[in-house]
Amino acid sequence: MGGVEKQRCIIDFTLSSLLRRKGKNGALLVVYTLVVFLLASVMLFTQAIRKEAAAVLADAPELVVQRIVAGRHDLIPLDYMGKIGAIRGVRAVSGRLWGYYYDPLFGANYTLVVPEEQAGGLGEIAVGQGVARSSMASEGNIMPFHTHDGRLVSLTVARVLPASTELVSSDLILLTAEDFRMLFGVPAGVATDLVVAVANPAEVPTIAAKIARLLPDTRPIARSEILRTYDAAFSWRSGILLAILAGALLAFLIFAWDKATGLSAEERREIGILKAVGWETGDVLAMKFWEGSVISLSAFLAGVVLAYLHVFVAAAPLFEPVLKGWSVLYPRFRLTPSLDFAQLAVLFFLVVVPYAVATIVPAWRAATVDPDAVMRG
Amino acid sequence: MIELLDVHKTFNQGKPNEYVALRGITLAIASCQATVLKGPSGSGKTTLLSILGGMARPSAGRIILSGREITSLPERFLTDIRRRTFGFIFQQFNLIRGISVLENVMLPAYPCGESHSLLRGRALALLELFGLAGRAATRVEWLSGGEMQRVAIARALINDPAVIVADEPTAHLDTKLSGEFLEFMARLKGEGKTIIMASHDPLVCEAGVVERVVEMRDGRVVAGGGAP
Amino acid sequence: MTLRRSTVFISFTALGLAALFVIAADAGLRGRGAAQALAQKRWLVKSLALTDLALFTDARYTRHPAMADLHSPFQDYPISLEHFPSGSLMPPPPHVRTHGRR
Repeated sequence: MGGVEKQRCIIDFTLSSLLRRKGKNGALLVVYTLVVFLLASVMLFTQAIRKEAAAVLADAPELVVQRIVAGRHDLIPLDYMGKIGAIRGVRAVSGRLWGYYYDPLFGANYTLVVPEEQAGGLGEIAVGQGVARSSMASEGNIMPFHTHDGRLVSLTVARVLPASTELVSSDLILLTAEDFRMLFGVPAGVATDLVVAVANPAEVPTIAAKIARLLPDTRPIARSEILRTYDAAFSWRSGILLAILAGALLAFLIFAWDKATGLSAEERREIGILKAVGWETGDVLAMKFWEGSVISLSAFLAGVVLAYLHVFVAAAPLFEPVLKGWSVLYPRFRLTPSLDFAQLAVLFFLVVVPYAVATIVPAWRAATVDPDAVMRG
Repeated sequence: MIELLDVHKTFNQGKPNEYVALRGITLAIASCQATVLKGPSGSGKTTLLSILGGMARPSAGRIILSGREITSLPERFLTDIRRRTFGFIFQQFNLIRGISVLENVMLPAYPCGESHSLLRGRALALLELFGLAGRAATRVEWLSGGEMQRVAIARALINDPAVIVADEPTAHLDTKLSGEFLEFMARLKGEGKTIIMASHDPLVCEAGVVERVVEMRDGRVVAGGGAP
Repeated sequence: MTLRRSTVFISFTALGLAALFVIAADAGLRGRGAAQALAQKRWLVKSLALTDLALFTDARYTRHPAMADLHSPFQDYPISLEHFPSGSLMPPPPHVRTHGRR
């Protein structure tokens, strides 16, 4: 028990010593916590959204076939379906009809999708929560649309899609194939792209290669590529947020470095006194270790817990302006919480350990002075 | 009983600023006595004090503490012996500013790993003894000179050492406080402690409590050396 | 006797660790609770043959990054960042970046 009591006594002294500069150390703790909070928020948020994307898009189409004309995504003739369907291993081929509609009234972009199985009747639409919010539409309301040839048609909101699906359905408007073709002037023989179902998932790359050879003006996109897109989208390299954080982290590092490494004459004198009254070098270093750990450990624990509350309880309000970008329509969603202990460990070694080390190292030389240095003073 | 055998101390050995502080000191200091090392500044008395108190190692020679050779002990053991055997009172008191009187007194005992409540009780009893009980929670920089001196003595006594070592204890004290200090030393000697002081203050050297004055000059003992 | 400072620190650290376990438990619990919502989302993805999350609606290639074709999103340079904040959050998908290098 002697060892524990000894460390507790050293912690007592360290805390008394830190409390002497309440303002400075308090500010340091707050800034430190804030940095951990931001880093942990980004980590938790991106991790959760990656996991969510992987789970939600697990049932995305196995293979989508686009047609490229003059370097642009173009409508695909439905008779391609026959050629693709003839490839061995292809279970089914169907055309997808979807597109974008810009609503000048609300300045919002909608995604119009035709469900494969007809849901509503002619002139009826189902809208996502985001559309309902931004255009203030509810069931039974009428939404006006400009057709490709300049007419104004009205479609009736028959259904609002459930809020639980908002992450994938926020900006969707579901309508019949007839209404879609009428709205955009898409002729009967073409679709936006084709969806291919494959009997054996292992054959997807082979089939994709066959399609690309058979129909050189098309581009197949496999489900694995879709998933990879989202895995890469929120990786640590994801752009501006990280750049901002890196700046903040760097500023903090300079601050912490200055604080931790600048051993003042006063501190040096104190270490001398401690040595003179009978502290060993190891005790002084233990004291310095606690001095760094008290601040960084407290900041880490507080920062991580606050980040969790921010991201999963409050739905990341601080990131919203950044993630929203210029879109008028922003999905309201709550991410499924996930806590990755490996990631927390990385964060711990990134923020706690360097600070503790930066506190100990400069004290090293001061701690090895002879105890009589104070007397020689 | 502390014995020094032909102790030499050279600072910055082999460098241009080499400085020889002690040149062959042989001295035996008896227990339960008050000894003063007297000499002008630069005579080596502070160096001698820190060497016989186990704070610094001699460049040559040996120190024997109660029959045990301590010169070549590793740092951990030496520090442990120093902590339990010697209580130091420094010229400038060397209290740690910004923390309480009580904590300053308890400081030398922290590395011992003793139960905190026992230690605290002992420290409070010492403060009571020195009339500082009401000042336990006060920061040391708000104390008067006399109070600081008493805190420094209390701190030297926290580990109940057999030897009290004081370096120029009266250098910053007026006559009244110096007298008070010597009274404290007399009381401690009465309790069976060994007192070793370095001073050139006549008030100290001629005090009634002092049994022996060892005079030093240029790193050598010039009078009062040898056996007690 | 007043509270020791180390007791305060140790209690705070213990509290922080306990909070960490509580949020871990909360994550597990809510993860299970979200199973139904996840099933609904998966069903919608399957029945509508959706390929993307509706995170950013400001540009075609941020609304449907997986469907982004080879040229239109990155008119100037295939992996350049552009002036939409979401575009800088969301780098070009790997199949665009690696195209031609394989």
